[in-house]
Amino acid sequence: MSLAFLVPLFLLGLAGIVVPILVHLTRRQRRNVVTFPSLMFLERIPFQEQRRRRIQHWLLLALRSLALALLALAFARPFLDRSDLSLGAASGPREIVVLLDQSYSMEIGDQFTRALDEAREIFADLGPLDRASLVVFGQGARVVARSTGDRLRLNAALDTLSISSSSTSFGPALKVAQTVLEESELPVGEVYLLSDFQRIGWAGDEGVYLPAGAKVISIKLSEDPPDNIQVTDVDLIRQAVSGRERITPTARIARNGGVDALEVDVRLELDGQEIQTRTVTLDANGAASVAFQPFTVSQPHTRGSIRIPTDELTADDVMNFVVSPGTALSLLIIGGGGGSTDASLYLRRALEISDDGRFRLTHRRTNNVRAEDLDGTDAVIINDARIDGVSAERLRNFVQAGGGLLVVLGERSGWPASAQDLLPGAAGEPQDRLQGRGGRLGHLEYGHPVFEPFSGPRSGDFTGARFFRARNFVLSDSASVLARFDDGSVAFAEQTYGLGTVLVWTSTLDSFWNDLALQPVYLPFIHRVSEYIGGRTEALPWFTIGQVLDLGDPAALASAGLVSAESAELSDDRDQVALTPSGQSIDLSSDDGPRYLALDESGFYTIRPPGTDPERPFVVAVNVELEESNLTTLDPEELVAQVTSSAPNPDAAPGFVQATALQMEDQERRQALWRWMLIAAFGLLAAETLMSNWVSRRTAAATLTTT
Amino acid sequence: MAVARGSHSGAQFLDPAVLARISNLELLAKTVVDGFLTGLHRSPYLGFSLEFAEHRQYMPGDDIRRIDWKLFGRSDRHYIKLFEADTNANFSVLLDVSASMSYGSHEVSKLDYARYLAACLTFFSNRQRDRVGLVTFDHDIVEYVPPSMKHLDTILHLLDRASAGRAGSLREPLLKITELLGRKGIVVIVSDLYERPEEVFNSISLLRARGHDVIVFHVLDPAELSFPFEDSSSFEDLETREQIPVIPNRLRDDYKRLVAEHVETVQRRLTENRIDYVLLDTSKPLDLALFQYLLARERWTRKR
Repeated sequence: MSLAFLVPLFLLGLAGIVVPILVHLTRRQRRNVVTFPSLMFLERIPFQEQRRRRIQHWLLLALRSLALALLALAFARPFLDRSDLSLGAASGPREIVVLLDQSYSMEIGDQFTRALDEAREIFADLGPLDRASLVVFGQGARVVARSTGDRLRLNAALDTLSISSSSTSFGPALKVAQTVLEESELPVGEVYLLSDFQRIGWAGDEGVYLPAGAKVISIKLSEDPPDNIQVTDVDLIRQAVSGRERITPTARIARNGGVDALEVDVRLELDGQEIQTRTVTLDANGAASVAFQPFTVSQPHTRGSIRIPTDELTADDVMNFVVSPGTALSLLIIGGGGGSTDASLYLRRALEISDDGRFRLTHRRTNNVRAEDLDGTDAVIINDARIDGVSAERLRNFVQAGGGLLVVLGERSGWPASAQDLLPGAAGEPQDRLQGRGGRLGHLEYGHPVFEPFSGPRSGDFTGARFFRARNFVLSDSASVLARFDDGSVAFAEQTYGLGTVLVWTSTLDSFWNDLALQPVYLPFIHRVSEYIGGRTEALPWFTIGQVLDLGDPAALASAGLVSAESAELSDDRDQVALTPSGQSIDLSSDDGPRYLALDESGFYTIRPPGTDPERPFVVAVNVELEESNLTTLDPEELVAQVTSSAPNPDAAPGFVQATALQMEDQERRQALWRWMLIAAFGLLAAETLMSNWVSRRTAAATLTTT
Repeated sequence: MAVARGSHSGAQFLDPAVLARISNLELLAKTVVDGFLTGLHRSPYLGFSLEFAEHRQYMPGDDIRRIDWKLFGRSDRHYIKLFEADTNANFSVLLDVSASMSYGSHEVSKLDYARYLAACLTFFSNRQRDRVGLVTFDHDIVEYVPPSMKHLDTILHLLDRASAGRAGSLREPLLKITELLGRKGIVVIVSDLYERPEEVFNSISLLRARGHDVIVFHVLDPAELSFPFEDSSSFEDLETREQIPVIPNRLRDDYKRLVAEHVETVQRRLTENRIDYVLLDTSKPLDLALFQYLLARERWTRKR
């Protein structure tokens, strides 16, 4: 409780206290001062015994000064600020926001149960005018109940809560609390933060600024972090053995904490069946890799799990994945066969080298493309061939339907003008680059999927390749350049046509015009280009909590591991339903627009048409965010200090500031100290009048007597 | 003391109010002296040397004993024999320039009045071929011009720029002046004598004891004599800056009584010691002072 002023500007009036003193002093000097040669005779007269003119009536001066001070204080409208008391005693109307950590690390011990109990106690202490909000948070924040005084509703909301699979992030939750407090009209704001306070949840730069006066009460529920073992990664290595694809899973197990070495059984499960179990020894804070025997995947969307015995933190004791049999990319190579040389030799050899047999090649050393050649073909490579108009039209239709086309320009290349629009530009005459040591690739578009794997350091060097000849190439407006030579001319260009993609390489892919085929990057480059034009995308074996899958996007589905929409009975025009790991079903209607599926549970999501039971439905594996397994805690006071020590932002919190101002006005109005001060001031002035009159009369009488 | 005031129009120049309009102190002194002398019934030029200088026609006021009867017998006209006057006296003016002298209830302050008086007397004496000197003092000697025939201009210049500022006293400066003035002569003290009468007497008697013929001109403003104030006021001492509240109506009589007692006591004590004392009211003309001077000069002459 402290003395505050509603209009402190009037305190400047306190300077008026000096007015009586100044008047007294100046009057003393200015009042009929008569200079006289000498006071020798006057001083001898008895009357000169009269006192010198100094401040003689201190009481009068005190009365006048006090009266002026009281007047100034009264106009400043003082009041006793009891905000602090109301904060502590919860006697005033409060806006309470309970932030409850729902991250999966809260499952350790009875943390989550205690959090619920703490929240119930907070709600039980609500005053009649108090309002409370319940916000649960993990990676994001969700308002379960907003600004209500209904305890039953709040407690019912608590009963519905369970631990999520999400990781911890305090920022969104505190932002929600900030918003609730800013929009509140109640004078007192309190934020209760119930969490295990993992350090990974607070970076410090979240930009959360609670309104001035808001109080944050942190309730730390965690104790010493337990010995936690987790599956941190699974590597699925594919190999083609005897025409069959085999997958070798390798799991990585890590241990946080502990003292002694520990033997851990690591189990591989496929479609819910235990396949293998390996035992690994883990030292304290150690890690180990576990390689399982290869297995053959015969069915699409096979669910797999690497599982270890459960400990206190169970969410990170399993890692799920989904695998499907690999599908070979069907490639057709046209040309490269003029004369005795085989221009496609390097190309074919590069595509034939793969562990998992991902490419199925067909090579025709002709210049024409037959219709039957394109059946079942994913991509066509025109390698230094002169294409006629009919073949070009077939290729146009092929590309328009989603096929991929790579045109390699060489000595014998030719393209009909009627299908010129299919290419990203017009090819010109060969241009020699014989000066020096030939040309080089000067610019690569590393952001493009073809070159993206080569963007990192020591990930492939294209600059070692020498180019001695290339065809001039004039780009069309719709084309984009993926690579240029060091003289700026086009080396690699792309154009999207219909649903397909057309790439043009302006030099050869053998060793006649350049030595790229002799460089180490040749093989991965050819593989990337082939996969790109063939539309193959890397299927993700699992997602993590918080990611969103757009079921309306074929590319997204392909990256999610969907092998065949037909076999999974998924099509754009049918409603779908997603079955979550906890057994809930989520309807995904076939309306236009994206169909987003938020993956917020760990386990397997099964997506299928409602009412159907496909033999091999589309399955997506979801794992928890492993950073949540880092149970290092932060000091709650550190977090509290950061969100409450920030300067109040009146623009951002008009409601709260206005409420605070209203509260001050309300306190001042109730106390009305200014009235008492005015009365006291007038009383003092009256007393001063009486007293000064008395003093004057007394002085006059004394003067007469003396004279 | 037979003092006659002439009815000649030149007397108007003795009025202090008129004198205040004359900025040149030498001109002022000359005007006053000439005007004053014109009104006298006898010539004030009292050279008593035996060395004949010239004849001049008799003018009313001249001593008839100075008429050259032999020449009258030859020419049937009255001529007076003039002789070269001797430089026969040291004439020193001791002018009080203490802060209290700056007081003036009308257009002429006490210091102005004293300066006029000192200038006139010095001018007069210089005409008499006396050696003239000047000492200004407050609580110490401020300026000192030793007596000389040639110091008239210096004295007039010093008088012209004399100003009052500091507190004053009599004993210390007069003691020093006594030491400075070696040769006997006429010493004129112009002061308001704001000291106790005993202190005044003791201070001045030193000069008298040295054989000087001392004339004390006690200069007071009419307000100091009549205390005409009406309103209750704070009276501030010009020298000490001390203030006391005063209700004049209730103090006037006491004040006037005290002043009268003071004047009377000072006069009596000085006169007893053969020191001439003249009380001068600054609103009155200078002739009284000049007559007093002439008497002293004459007395001095006789002594010799």
